[in-house]
Amino acid sequence: MTSTAIGVRKRIQINTILVRLSIFLIGLGVFSWLGVNLVRGPADFVTVAIQGLNNGALYALIALGYTLVYGIIELINFAHGDLFMLGAVFSASLLSERLHAVTSTPANWGLLIMTLILAMAFCAALNVSIERVAYRRLREAPKLAPLITAVGMSFILQFVGLHWVGSAPKNFNTVIPTTSMNVAGVTIRYSTLMIFALTIPLLLLMVFVVNKTRQGKAMRAVAQDKDAARLMGVNVNKTISFTFALGGAMAGAAGLMYEQTVGTVSYNLGFQLGLIAFTSAVMGGIGNLYGAVLGGLLIGLIQGLNDGLPIGLGQRWSQSVVFGILILLMVYRPAGLLGKATTEKV
Amino acid sequence: MSSLNNAPVLDAQNISVVFGGLVAVDNVSFNIPEGSIVSLIGPNGAGKTTFFNVLTGLYSPTSGGVYYDGNLITGLAPHKIAAGGIARTFQNIRLFGMMTAQENVMVAMHSHMKAGVVSTTLRLPSQKREEAEAREFAQELLDFVDIGGTTHEYARNLSYGDQRRLEVARALALRPKVLLLDEPTAGMNPNESARFVEFVRKIRSERGISILLIEHDMSVVMQVSERITVLDQGQKIAEGSPAEIKSNTRVIEAYLGKTGTEASK
Amino acid sequence: MSDVILEDSGVPVHLAATNNRKWAIGFTLSVIIIFAFYQYVYTSLPGEVQNFFRAWLPLTSLGEAMIFVLMALGLNIVVGYAGLLDLGYVAFWALGGYVAGWLMSGFFDSKTINFGGHPPVGLPNGIHINFWLVLIIGGMFTAVWGVIIGAPTLRLKSDYLALVTLGFGEIIPQFFVNGENVGGLNLTNGTQGITPIDDITVFGHAFGVFDLQWKFLIYSALAGLMIILSLRLRDGRLGRAWLAIREDELAASMMGVPLMRTKLSSYAVGATAGGVGGVAFATLINGVFAERFNFAISIIILAMVVLGGMGNVWGVMIGAVILSWINSTGLVQFGNVVNGALGTNINFPSFNFLIFGLLLVMMMLFRREGFIPEARTRVIMHETTDHQGAH
Repeated sequence: MTSTAIGVRKRIQINTILVRLSIFLIGLGVFSWLGVNLVRGPADFVTVAIQGLNNGALYALIALGYTLVYGIIELINFAHGDLFMLGAVFSASLLSERLHAVTSTPANWGLLIMTLILAMAFCAALNVSIERVAYRRLREAPKLAPLITAVGMSFILQFVGLHWVGSAPKNFNTVIPTTSMNVAGVTIRYSTLMIFALTIPLLLLMVFVVNKTRQGKAMRAVAQDKDAARLMGVNVNKTISFTFALGGAMAGAAGLMYEQTVGTVSYNLGFQLGLIAFTSAVMGGIGNLYGAVLGGLLIGLIQGLNDGLPIGLGQRWSQSVVFGILILLMVYRPAGLLGKATTEKV
Repeated sequence: MSSLNNAPVLDAQNISVVFGGLVAVDNVSFNIPEGSIVSLIGPNGAGKTTFFNVLTGLYSPTSGGVYYDGNLITGLAPHKIAAGGIARTFQNIRLFGMMTAQENVMVAMHSHMKAGVVSTTLRLPSQKREEAEAREFAQELLDFVDIGGTTHEYARNLSYGDQRRLEVARALALRPKVLLLDEPTAGMNPNESARFVEFVRKIRSERGISILLIEHDMSVVMQVSERITVLDQGQKIAEGSPAEIKSNTRVIEAYLGKTGTEASK
Repeated sequence: MSDVILEDSGVPVHLAATNNRKWAIGFTLSVIIIFAFYQYVYTSLPGEVQNFFRAWLPLTSLGEAMIFVLMALGLNIVVGYAGLLDLGYVAFWALGGYVAGWLMSGFFDSKTINFGGHPPVGLPNGIHINFWLVLIIGGMFTAVWGVIIGAPTLRLKSDYLALVTLGFGEIIPQFFVNGENVGGLNLTNGTQGITPIDDITVFGHAFGVFDLQWKFLIYSALAGLMIILSLRLRDGRLGRAWLAIREDELAASMMGVPLMRTKLSSYAVGATAGGVGGVAFATLINGVFAERFNFAISIIILAMVVLGGMGNVWGVMIGAVILSWINSTGLVQFGNVVNGALGTNINFPSFNFLIFGLLLVMMMLFRREGFIPEARTRVIMHETTDHQGAH
């Protein structure tokens, strides 16, 4: 048996070598792919990369909702992507249909900002009610129960979306102009600039709320230890509701921005984007705010490059690429780029 | 005292465990002589459970090694260590609640049984025989721990005391050479604890199993142990017979003294 | 550690046996009655009665229900027994379907291989292998895929696992949708799908597109085999290890149960059932179509398992029959009746999302043990009184 024990150690070494080798090979493949494309058309490359970061900013906003909720109650909120979808549908029907804000005029910009706030409030309220009605009662239940409930919620929200916009994707004219500018051969859409102009303040606000406010401190306390937080006088239920509100608001904002930049909404939007956003959250290290943002931008970039570069798998494999990344991450680094590994208590 | 001179069946040498910057166990050597009953005590947070988890393979030590029958087992998967004959119970009972008492015990026979998908689905004679033998052995163990009447009851429906007993029966189903009991008398009244002392002796004498006890209840520890090891803040501060430990000033300071002052408050 | 989320058939052996016998007789009788009805009675009924049955209880939907029983029981082994949430079960269905598409059709028409198969008259090209053999190949193929998917992912925490399986449930169908050009090869015929699929042969008789009552009988037999497999595995060494992992993973490993291997075996068995179901389904609808393998199917099968009570074989069977019927026939027919009576134009099939979503949420909130726990609860009550009597 001494020999088996030594054998175990050797096998572990071989395993780590294999892991490192495969990471190295994957890295090499990715870099050579990027390199070839960069040399062939540097301007195209940058254009595509910027478009990718544009999507990445949206993923980051949605990913924040996942990461906040997971951080505090360890639940993958499968319904979060659909919440984002309803945010987009809400914005479309309010801004484009009810208010007829379909051109880029100063008055419409005002309406856009108003809709942004309303969409954030709408999704925040919806997310809080979902937690109140369903997840709260399952907080002490075994893990499968809230997970399955979240999947069910996702279906219910999709149903709402389906009856709101219909089964086919719907196009809308937008306030944000669809035109673009050209800087040294690099095409930048105005909508991309708008996305960054709106996303960056939101992210900063978010970081401020979590790190500097009383509620933010309560959130972090509850995330660490619910019972201890309760003993310290933190209202746990209220804090969890607040977390859902915050995540919902970010999803609402992402919904409006998606609707305004892409101009199309459909009821099954949330499923795809939700999963991509979750992958982002995992990539950055779930529970970590900066990780969600980093992950979102990275995933957006990778997806943009894959979809847009002349040499690449192309858009039809887009989902597969993202999920491929998710699976590789789970296998090699489940804690994510900025996360820490955890061990179970006995 | 003779059993203490036997060769150790489980021997942990120079074990250290570091979590982040925190040294949970600091260079502790410890062994269980074959056929003995030994105890590990210490105040809360002394590193007892961490040390225990190193023995069962749940944690890898930062340095040091654990030898079982002279072979290094550090780095082996926990289920292999368990199947090899090191069984344990849990401080906060961890039974399979929605399974019957019999099934709970039979789970622990997993590594000694062979049936796979095909032989189980076809109910081959070999599988039937194996199942019958396993059921019989399970009943024998349930009888041994005095809960023979609970065979088909769900573990979660058993009384607290019976659940503790079922945990021991389940551990014995591994046919272990070493049994590690993690605070087995937690939640018992003095009367039950006294009966438990007899029970531990019975396990050793009738089944020839060496026993390591982690305990809070001093009367239990003093009655049953042949040797006591005291941990404090991750370090081994004393080791010896119950009488020696009782009179060890360092132990009294670190442990008994502290609980004494706590009690007087 | 984990509490009452999951229900199972963990009843004392002797009582479980009589209980199982009752259910088994009920299942067999129902199948025989339905078959006999469509084989001997149906054609001699008046036209309106025939129309009623064709609308409300068509043979295709009955056959589909049996295939769903098979697959739901497969997922039950993964989710109900071992407690691993698999949200991408549709992937195994798709893989099994394409095995049938490849081995039982004229798709690879550059080759002509016939091994006990039954190609359509006048179209001998392609690969035509006997249905029963393809069932086995399909099952083995998906079992291998189960292990390939499981090996790297089963180490993960339960919620991460759910997500990765979901990922596979998306990637694999996407591969089939895009598979008409994989490095210049057409592997899947893309969105067009592969059709027609060969007939099923039994002792030289060929059952084709119109022999639906016979196909129903065959699918019922497959479902019956899966029921037996589920019940027997549950009461054996592997079943106990799966349940132990579901209840408390750490304690199970401390009792000598190898976690990875045991989880993998549940995955492989579940995947096999999915693959067999995929092959069977291809013969039912006479083709494989990539776009039918979507996420919603994974959730519908999960809902079947949840409705019946996770781990409870007979409950899952009933859950599968009911939900499969609602999904394929009930909702559409009900919609027709309501719309006809009220003159409305409500799209009832779109309520699928609401029904399955609400079902999952409500079951988890109010009835986590599933709808058919009576037998077990009764037995527990029975047992405790028995013991009091004995003392």
